[in-house]
Amino acid sequence: MLISCNPSDNNMNEKDKIVITDAWMRAGLKDRNTAAFLKITNNSNSDDTLFSVSSNLAKETQIHETFTKENDIKGMRHIEKLIIPANSSVELKPGEFHVMLIGLNKDLTKGETGNLNLQFKNYGSISIKAEVK
Amino acid sequence: MKNITKILLFTFVAQFFFSCMDELDTINDISKSNFALINQDSIHANFPSLIKGKVGIVGYIFTNCPDICPLTTNNMRLIKEALENDKITNVEFVSISFDPEIDKPGILKNFSKLHNVQFSNWEFLTGEKETIKNLLKEVGVVAFVGDSVLIKDSSYTYLYVHTDRIQLIDQDGKIRKNYLGSQINIDEIVEDVKKLL
Ligand SMILES: [Cu+2]
Repeated sequence: MLISCNPSDNNMNEKDKIVITDAWMRAGLKDRNTAAFLKITNNSNSDDTLFSVSSNLAKETQIHETFTKENDIKGMRHIEKLIIPANSSVELKPGEFHVMLIGLNKDLTKGETGNLNLQFKNYGSISIKAEVK
Repeated sequence: MKNITKILLFTFVAQFFFSCMDELDTINDISKSNFALINQDSIHANFPSLIKGKVGIVGYIFTNCPDICPLTTNNMRLIKEALENDKITNVEFVSISFDPEIDKPGILKNFSKLHNVQFSNWEFLTGEKETIKNLLKEVGVVAFVGDSVLIKDSSYTYLYVHTDRIQLIDQDGKIRKNYLGSQINIDEIVEDVKKLL
């Protein structure tokens, strides 16, 4: 007989193990770049890793982090993966992590929605809609 | 009674010190400089002389920036609204691009429309690469290409590492205060503008 220390993990519907909420994108211009932000909640008892994001909205989609050097100098860089620890959330938000949409295929204006596809190591892939704000 | 006197005296002295600290020192006098630029409508504009006689609120941006620069631009819009609510005019808003190769006037115009900019007292400026380089040096802003990303149609997009800045320039062309553009406290800069009027 198996006894789980966290019964919720066993009883949980597989599809609820990773939940994406608060997804939105900043308005952007065709051929330019913009960013998408969202919250990833890992309801399972093991860590998961977001390793790629794809979208038909842009020519290239990457996971980025904004960094600060010498107080007021800011930049951003591509990161290979983002770990979502077990039973916790990671928020991609302005000034921190973001999904970078590089070379938009068309203008993204307020009120529209677009699709993003997130690929996780354990969970697999998840498709979400994000509104342009 | 004695204690009350002490407290009053302390409060008075503290207030005196704080009000002195509140004075905005000159960081750099750029009034003698002149940078020939063009705005979002391809009209010539000289910086900093276009803000002469007004208080200047200047932001430094590039339009390929997905995060920090839209935050800075949005904050400038909030500052503009806050000042207008307080019936404060005689302020000029300027956004200067440090990516002149990409940020041509038409792109600046589209970018500013996208971020709901009202152009009445707000100009988006760009110029020759060399001019921008000299300008940035003068105002103390750093911008250099960090990452470049190869995109599918085999063109590159260049991502700048740059100073996150909104700058307060007085009526005489003196830089009086620097703020983090993406995280500025709107009330703080509104109060600082009032000090200069
Ligand atoms: Cu980015």
